[in-house]
Amino acid sequence: MTTLQSFAVTGDTTAQAIANLAHAVGEAPTGAHFVCVFYDAEHEDDAIFDFLRARFERAAILGGTSCNGVMSQNGLAGSRSIGLLVLDDPLGNYGTAATQLHGDAADCAERTLHAALENADCAGELPELIWVYQTPGQEEAVIEGLRRVVGDRCPIIGGSSADNDVGGQWRQMGPDGVIHDGLVVGVLFSSGGIGFAFQGGYEPSGESGIVTRIGYDPVGDSGVVTQSCGRQIISIDGEPAAEVYNRWIGGALEDKLESGGNILANTTMHPVGIDVGKIEGITSYLLIHPDKILADGALSTFASIEEGTRLYSMKGERTRLISRAGKVAAAAAAMLPGGESSLAGGLVVYCGGCMLAVGEEMPRVARAVTENFQGKPFLGCFTFGEQGAILGKNAHGNLMISAVAFGE
Amino acid sequence: MEGSEELREALVTLRRENDLLRVETTHANLLLKALDAVLCVDGGDDPFAGVFSALMPVFDCSHAIVLIEPKNETEGLECVASSAPSAVGSLWAQDKLLEKALAGRIITTVADFDVAAGPGVPGLDFTGREPALYLPLGVRGRRGLMLLLRSDGKPGFDRAHVALAKKFSLLASHAFAAKRANQTEMERHRLKHLTEQLEASQQALRHRANHDQLTDLPNRAYIEELVEEAIASKLEGEELALAFIDLDNFKRVNDIHGHAAGDALLREVSKRMRCTIRHSDILGRISGDEFVIVLNHIGRHSDISALVKRICNRLREPFHIEGTEIHPSASIGVAIHPVHGGDYDTLRRHADMAMYHAKIVSKGSIAFFNRQLEKKATEKHILEQELRNALDMHAFHCALQQKVDIRTGAIVGFEALARRVDRHGIMHAPMTFLPLANELGLLNDITDLVICDLERELPRLDARFGAGVRYSVNITPNQAANMQFMQRLVEQLRNTGRPESFMLELTEESLAVTGPFQSHVLPLLRDAGIGLSIDDFGTGYSSLATIADLTVDELKIDRSLISSIHNRPRSQSILRAIESMGTALGISVVAEGIETMEENLYLMAQTGLRIGQGYLFHKPQLLTALLQETPATPRPGHDRNNREPA
Repeated sequence: MTTLQSFAVTGDTTAQAIANLAHAVGEAPTGAHFVCVFYDAEHEDDAIFDFLRARFERAAILGGTSCNGVMSQNGLAGSRSIGLLVLDDPLGNYGTAATQLHGDAADCAERTLHAALENADCAGELPELIWVYQTPGQEEAVIEGLRRVVGDRCPIIGGSSADNDVGGQWRQMGPDGVIHDGLVVGVLFSSGGIGFAFQGGYEPSGESGIVTRIGYDPVGDSGVVTQSCGRQIISIDGEPAAEVYNRWIGGALEDKLESGGNILANTTMHPVGIDVGKIEGITSYLLIHPDKILADGALSTFASIEEGTRLYSMKGERTRLISRAGKVAAAAAAMLPGGESSLAGGLVVYCGGCMLAVGEEMPRVARAVTENFQGKPFLGCFTFGEQGAILGKNAHGNLMISAVAFGE
Repeated sequence: MEGSEELREALVTLRRENDLLRVETTHANLLLKALDAVLCVDGGDDPFAGVFSALMPVFDCSHAIVLIEPKNETEGLECVASSAPSAVGSLWAQDKLLEKALAGRIITTVADFDVAAGPGVPGLDFTGREPALYLPLGVRGRRGLMLLLRSDGKPGFDRAHVALAKKFSLLASHAFAAKRANQTEMERHRLKHLTEQLEASQQALRHRANHDQLTDLPNRAYIEELVEEAIASKLEGEELALAFIDLDNFKRVNDIHGHAAGDALLREVSKRMRCTIRHSDILGRISGDEFVIVLNHIGRHSDISALVKRICNRLREPFHIEGTEIHPSASIGVAIHPVHGGDYDTLRRHADMAMYHAKIVSKGSIAFFNRQLEKKATEKHILEQELRNALDMHAFHCALQQKVDIRTGAIVGFEALARRVDRHGIMHAPMTFLPLANELGLLNDITDLVICDLERELPRLDARFGAGVRYSVNITPNQAANMQFMQRLVEQLRNTGRPESFMLELTEESLAVTGPFQSHVLPLLRDAGIGLSIDDFGTGYSSLATIADLTVDELKIDRSLISSIHNRPRSQSILRAIESMGTALGISVVAEGIETMEENLYLMAQTGLRIGQGYLFHKPQLLTALLQETPATPRPGHDRNNREPA
């Protein structure tokens, strides 16, 4: 029998927030097997970790910073919040492991997955689900490393840790405490079954073009430099990428074409998409969020793109971003082996960019998830990149929503 | 559906459900087969032979081994069955994964993981890195497990295999236990019950896989199967008819009354049709609002007409859905086997063509397939390919027709028109491609090409005709309603650096619903200095309110009013009224379609109009030809038989 409890508290100081958390957790079983923790980047990591280790001494811990706090079945907790999802499953196995992404990120991910399996006492076993939380920047390499071990036979779900102002203050928390520029991998072998979903709330606006040149901006101190894949689109159809993109979105970036700079806020409703396959002739898209205009009209993005890829201009609407979260939660719950009625609770990864775009209507997002998770406990974090399985393939995207549902 | 995102979502859900059904059906079949193998063999036979032959193809494995705890205190596990008979009797060292499986856990391994070390039995060629699946199995009253192995290098087992292994493990353990207890009455009853449950669930799954959940009618795949069966059973000379039924304006029902009402209507339509067809006919729903009826036993062709007409009439009767009366209708196309097709796919395609024809001719009508329809569909398909190729090859070009001062002959403007030039250099008139391009949603791209052409040649046009000349661009009603397109178009014209040199010509139909146009586009046009002209004025709504709301710059009087104006007193009166209105509102009035000297003389003598356009002055010319031509004065009286379709 799997049981879940979710707690979300706020506090002006970390000490105050932890005191509130201790009060909320109260008599929660200390024999928890898996604990997810997400918190506003303004909080002090060590104090949070010390609390968790003391309170849930045997639990596998996974989490990190989340843009402007968390949400739960009680609503949007808001800035300076800390959220916990506490899972108790005596018949399941759970393990986490963490590493800093030094050297080849794919190798790091592969080693960390094996370590997480060891920690779950399941070395060599295919998990039911892999949950990752990582620093933004090398998500594709991380997924590649994990896929070397499990292929697409098991879903890889998770998010890229976030701070409140894209200032690089994101951190990750694993079984041994906080890390920077790192990766935490969790392996889940549940006894009640797991459902999952990974979707975006955008659709093509009509324009498209071929990526004709890519640049590479190494993140951290590692990474394989290739000429054909990277996070800087230099040109689309032979023209400077920013100019083409600006045309696609109706000239919204006109004043930044020459000066360059951050365009996250201007582009949240107009990401680009890549074709990841068709169902009955209808294309599914993985979303990529352009974040900066660079020198010479290049476009920086939050996910890698290969040269020769056709990019599609996408469009979103605030109302869809609100309702979509609920739909993703419902889809995950529907996938449980025992159906929605066996739902014990869940986890939701909601893009930080979408959160900023939805703005003051974010409480409606939390309500949509709560309704579709039937009021069961859940914890939602806000990330700068989302990972999930789309059409059976594990992938990294932006402006996406992931949900995991746990069966009883 | 609100948009493609919703459509995609619905399809993903559908595919997931179909995949789930397929997997569950396969599992149920396999479990029955394997269970049958366990239960039905005679006492002395090895039940595993049947189990292995049922399981191994589905799990795509190369070896299957059954290990159990030995009776005595010997260490390790004893192999009691194997797909490689030489392994039977061997002892296996008990490692951690084997121990977990014995304890009841289903396990599959990740890549490059060393599986249980085999005892080195001939016939079991282990590298130790084979993908493995462990499933617990109670055998002979002892804890045991089945180990399934794939060849080294093959992909590992996935979660679907784990789910199947879980079901098999449970059922097979029960079956073995019952068998071992010599099948007491109670156990036999329990197994019988389990088997019956499985059979019932298999039947339910088969029904779900073959039927549409909304209407419970056979779905597309099952209809195909039924039609193919019916065709195969036909003797020479026997016929079968396939009627393709499409509800007219079903989208409006969803839009106005909501999707729940739409679904309810589909259910009611299904019920009504089911009551109308004969016992031997087959009714199915193949998608959204599309149904198929297979008329299986046909005496005479008139029977088909009568039956299809009856269905058509029944569907015209109102439905009462959620307190609302809905008046639907359906267009029906019919194809007959064997004359119109020897298989389901051909028959459905031909019936679909006939339905489409019926819908075009008159919604709510019936059409039978004929070869002429097929020819038209083929021609349309070819033209569609040609148009798409022409777009890729930039084979749409800008042609210009002069607007002139009818009193001085001076050129005051041009109307930009689209022309397709094929690879043989032949120019195609707009009527040959515009309707289909509109239907296919290609007009925006064509308009883009025309404007690009024009923009490129603006400097040469200026040099030749002066910078004060204004260029008109035609906009269709669909384009006018497409805010994104209109905003992009304004931006494109702005980018020429002289948007005030352009005017958009919209028909009255485009302006019938002025709301979004007025609020979103008109301010952009005004801000950029782009003019607005109402084309074909006098043939549509001719709404004064629209003119007042939109503050248009120009009215182009339709050619039907100008034609033979000198002989038509009623047209003359209307013309005078429009002219007066134009003067009062400060709107320029243009006479379109001036083709004869008599018409022109009348306009000059009896009206105050200054600007005219028509073949009398100038026939549309490709930009390149126009710019190459030696400058000349307008040519009144030019060949009037070369009239271009509008």
